[in-house]
Amino acid sequence: MFSYNFKYELKSLLRSKWLILLTIILLTLVLFAGYSGKKKVNKRVFDIEKANNTVKEQDITVLKVLDSIEKGFVINQNLRSLPTNPMNIGYSYPRVAAMYPLETAFISTGQSDLFTHYVQPKAYGDSFFFNHAEFSSPIQLLFGSFDLAFVIIYILPLIIIAFSYHIFSLEKENGSLKLMASQPISIYKWILQKTMLRFFVLSVIVVLVLTIAFIINNYNFVENLAEYLYFLLLTLTYILFWFTVVLLINIKVNNSAKNAVSLLAIWVFIILIIPAIIAQAANTFYPIPSRTKMITDVRALKDDVSKKQDKILDNFLRDHPEYASNKKQNYSFWHKYLASQDLVEDEVKPLIKSYETQLLKQQQWVKLWQYSSPAIILQQSFNDIAGTSTTHYQEYRTQVAKFSAKWRDFFVPLLYNNEKFSTKLYKQLPTFEYKKPKYTSLLFKASIVLIMSMFFLLITRILFYNKSKKGTIIN
Amino acid sequence: MIITRDLTKKYGDFTALNKLNLKVNEGEIFCLLGANGAGKSTTINLLLNFITPSSGKAFINGLNVTDNARETKAFLTYIPENLMLYPTLTAIENLDYFLGIGGKNFSRKELEFFLHEAGLQQEAFHKRVQFFSKGMRQKVGIALAIAKDANVLLLDEPTSGLDPKSSNEFGELLLKMKKNGVAILMTTHDIFRAKEIGTHIGIMKQGQLKYNFSCNDKSLQEIENLYLETMSLKDNLL
Amino acid sequence: MIFHVVKKELQETLRDGRFKISTAIVFVLLTVSLVLTFNQYQYNNAQYIEAQKNERSLWEEQGEKNPHSAAHYGNYVFKPKSPLSLIDQGVEKYTGISIFLEAHNRNEAQFSNASDQTALSRFGELTPSFILLYILPLILILIGYDAYTKELEKGTFAILKSQGISNTKLLFGKWLSVLIPIVTITTLLFLFGGLILSNTSDIGVFNWEALGVLYIVYLIYYLILTNIVLFISLIAKKSGVALVSSLVFWVLACFITPKIASNIADSKYPYPTNQEFSKRVAEDRKKGLDGHNPWSEEAKKLEEEVLRKYNVDSVHKLPFNYSAYRMQKGEEYQAKVYAKHYSWLDEQAQKQEKVYKSTSMISPFLPTRFLSMAISRTDYQSHRDFSEKAETYRVKTQEFLNGLTEKNSRYGERYVASANAWKKLPKFEYKPPPFSQILNSNTPMMLILIVWFAVTGAVLFFINKNH
Repeated sequence: MFSYNFKYELKSLLRSKWLILLTIILLTLVLFAGYSGKKKVNKRVFDIEKANNTVKEQDITVLKVLDSIEKGFVINQNLRSLPTNPMNIGYSYPRVAAMYPLETAFISTGQSDLFTHYVQPKAYGDSFFFNHAEFSSPIQLLFGSFDLAFVIIYILPLIIIAFSYHIFSLEKENGSLKLMASQPISIYKWILQKTMLRFFVLSVIVVLVLTIAFIINNYNFVENLAEYLYFLLLTLTYILFWFTVVLLINIKVNNSAKNAVSLLAIWVFIILIIPAIIAQAANTFYPIPSRTKMITDVRALKDDVSKKQDKILDNFLRDHPEYASNKKQNYSFWHKYLASQDLVEDEVKPLIKSYETQLLKQQQWVKLWQYSSPAIILQQSFNDIAGTSTTHYQEYRTQVAKFSAKWRDFFVPLLYNNEKFSTKLYKQLPTFEYKKPKYTSLLFKASIVLIMSMFFLLITRILFYNKSKKGTIIN
Repeated sequence: MIITRDLTKKYGDFTALNKLNLKVNEGEIFCLLGANGAGKSTTINLLLNFITPSSGKAFINGLNVTDNARETKAFLTYIPENLMLYPTLTAIENLDYFLGIGGKNFSRKELEFFLHEAGLQQEAFHKRVQFFSKGMRQKVGIALAIAKDANVLLLDEPTSGLDPKSSNEFGELLLKMKKNGVAILMTTHDIFRAKEIGTHIGIMKQGQLKYNFSCNDKSLQEIENLYLETMSLKDNLL
Repeated sequence: MIFHVVKKELQETLRDGRFKISTAIVFVLLTVSLVLTFNQYQYNNAQYIEAQKNERSLWEEQGEKNPHSAAHYGNYVFKPKSPLSLIDQGVEKYTGISIFLEAHNRNEAQFSNASDQTALSRFGELTPSFILLYILPLILILIGYDAYTKELEKGTFAILKSQGISNTKLLFGKWLSVLIPIVTITTLLFLFGGLILSNTSDIGVFNWEALGVLYIVYLIYYLILTNIVLFISLIAKKSGVALVSSLVFWVLACFITPKIASNIADSKYPYPTNQEFSKRVAEDRKKGLDGHNPWSEEAKKLEEEVLRKYNVDSVHKLPFNYSAYRMQKGEEYQAKVYAKHYSWLDEQAQKQEKVYKSTSMISPFLPTRFLSMAISRTDYQSHRDFSEKAETYRVKTQEFLNGLTEKNSRYGERYVASANAWKKLPKFEYKPPPFSQILNSNTPMMLILIVWFAVTGAVLFFINKNH
């Protein structure tokens, strides 16, 4: 039965021109999405490289000046801006703390259009206030990007629905079902095979088209094979999920026009309404504290601190005796400033942290409830694979904050010990390297989607047998 | 051989078929007459196990239909009122598909032979069926019966909507099948055709088989009178 | 005759289980979204009022202080919620709500909601505009896709035509009956929204006029969609084909075109990165006067100029505090640098807008989206307007503060202003542009929408005549 089903279903599909149309549509959408995704990634790399190059050029000049000073030459430069002053290096020659895109970044834009991908933390200034927001047109953010994730999550189910919304009901409406049912076969098996066959055909097309997009984007299959395979696996389970929904509705509703309407309603719910409800619930249960309140609080605190800077310095030196030099020295503005900044930072930390904590709680909520819609599972997984998820950016912020502290801590002892910056110290300057966070196993997520599909298949089977007992399947 | 014993189908309070007892032997053509809703199609659907009986039993070649749904379908062929095939496939491909799916493989030569036997003209064998007339599609159905070597043929209003020539041709085909020892049960409104090709005639009314007689026993006029009697307006509105 | 057509079509629609279920769902969704956005609106509004009050009192109670210290202390301005954001929140999620105004620097609005939320919020939100823009068109398609094909399939078309009804009358009847359910839902929503807004006290400048225009924009949107859906139903031979084609149009118009437009706009007229932009500003600033740096060449030039002008040989002899004067000059220069870079950014935004406008020719969704945001005052333009007015206020504040020092002290003195000096700074009151101005600047979009209606209507009429 299977071989005949396969042979003739394929023949029918090929002759109805559906397959060609489908392949062309998919190819166009996927290639465009892949192309614009890659373009964004390239711009990101270009921006970071540009910043890196500027730093390199600056370093060359600074090293030259330092070298000349160390060799005893006289430098014709404003004394205040001499690179031997560590704070000058710490402030004017910051490193680039970049978040390079992953190979897979073109798959999903995720949150990458909201946040910046490189910052240059300085030895002083409001490091806790680091603005990670990226400059982008809000209209662009509102409409979102046309990326592979969008094509797969939004468009692919619609294609499946358009392709198969009457896979069973049409047989009934056309009358061929009666003839089929008078053959010595199980109709359930027959329709299941037909559906799975379409799943198989579409899967082959999708895998081919996606692979082409990957190849065009110069994807390194050797190094990042796992990501590519996970991406395909998730996509395939998602396609399977939608085919089981299509089959279920075909059996349950069994009327082409009503099938189409029901399937669309399901599409709207799974892809638009459920995510909106869960996001809304996350905001309601774990509201982000008022940013306006934070602003006023931080300012009040700073105001307070700046009034008692001298006292603060004394306290600071008591806590850090290693900085209190034995020699009688004049503490400069920097000494006071840094000491008070430390204090402000300590005080503000819990407040700043409350935002991250709430966001983390929201994410945990989403992590839990993502299983209510395969669309959310897929979006989350794609963002994870592409390295553009909220978690990735949060991790980046944390790492930048750590690096920022490290950068400052490199210069503070120099300042207090009245040491000069030198070429030797230059080599010890801290550098930043972004490490991507761990995320939930993709295999686990794919199997959840698979379980959902199996669940729908089970319901379909039960429905089918109930209906055929009542005799409402064929008539 | 088709046998039903007290075959009954109820939908809630409504009795679609009431204690039908029927027997169609090999080499017989049994024509079921009756108004719409008299229970003709219900009988066929029960024989195909498309619906399950509320009580009573139906046998095809001695096998209980309800318990052996798939086995009985191996040696019966059913031609629905409006037989539809897969429009993008050719006649021969349709035949191959329906046979193959039931586990019967034939060579192309054999398939062509079956279509030829069923009276389909040669030119149509490799044409897509989307432009086929009802008569041509039915011939594909008959070819299916020939290929399956079916000894039971169930026909639902086979001649409705056929032009006289096709109707005539179809009658000839049935007679040929009868001669080959096939038990044929057909529902119809066409008493002339029934009288002409049938061996037995049954007239149904409100789920009951009112009359059951051999074709040779009654004249066309008598049959028509009985038929009209069962169609009296008063009863049918109930 | 038309009445009969409308009556029959509406009866069919109303008796259809699909329609009943979907309207019930839409009503639930609309109610939920209205309640949600209203709550959010009130919460934000309360926050806004409190923050503004706190902010001002913090500013006024700074105590005795050097005015320039006060300038660095800075002040925050907050953008008030527009009443119609109840219907359409536009880009508000992606633009910040407050701007920090300080000496020397122009800051961007900070802390957009989107960056404080999970990636899930990017799927869309349960707001009235979401339902008006996406879901109602879908319902419209479901009501109208088989308006003609069903008659063909059931064979009733021939009977209808044999009764002698003209094509035009039949079309008009069908057209009305597709529209009536959608218009009813929309009217109810707007009436309800208007009642809520006019009965809430602490609301900004709500006027029924704007709500009315917004209502009309959505009506035109549905008129266009009705034209298209009926057109498809007319030329399609099967209901299935009509449905799939209408849906393809829906997906193209509402989902794909906006995204593609934004991709094109972004790659054609890219925004600089945040870092890049600050670097450019910093480079330009270096070239000019810096109020904190009296040693630069520019500073020396200014000194000479002032000395010459007042005909004195030392800044000590000037009748005002020269360092505050220089500070103000530096401030003015920096403001100019910012103005230059921001106007470049503005140009970039306007070029992007042109891309959106030209893609509006492909999708009636786009002009509707933009008009809806503009009328609700939640579009990018009104955000820019706010940010411009905040910048003007910042420049004025710096002038006021530097003026305090300049007038009240001498060069070399450390001036400390009295505690009540801060109250004299005028409050920042954001006055959004009048409604007529918004209408004026959005006439092109309105025209595009009307052209859409006219063209689709004409095509429908023409095809129907020859059907």
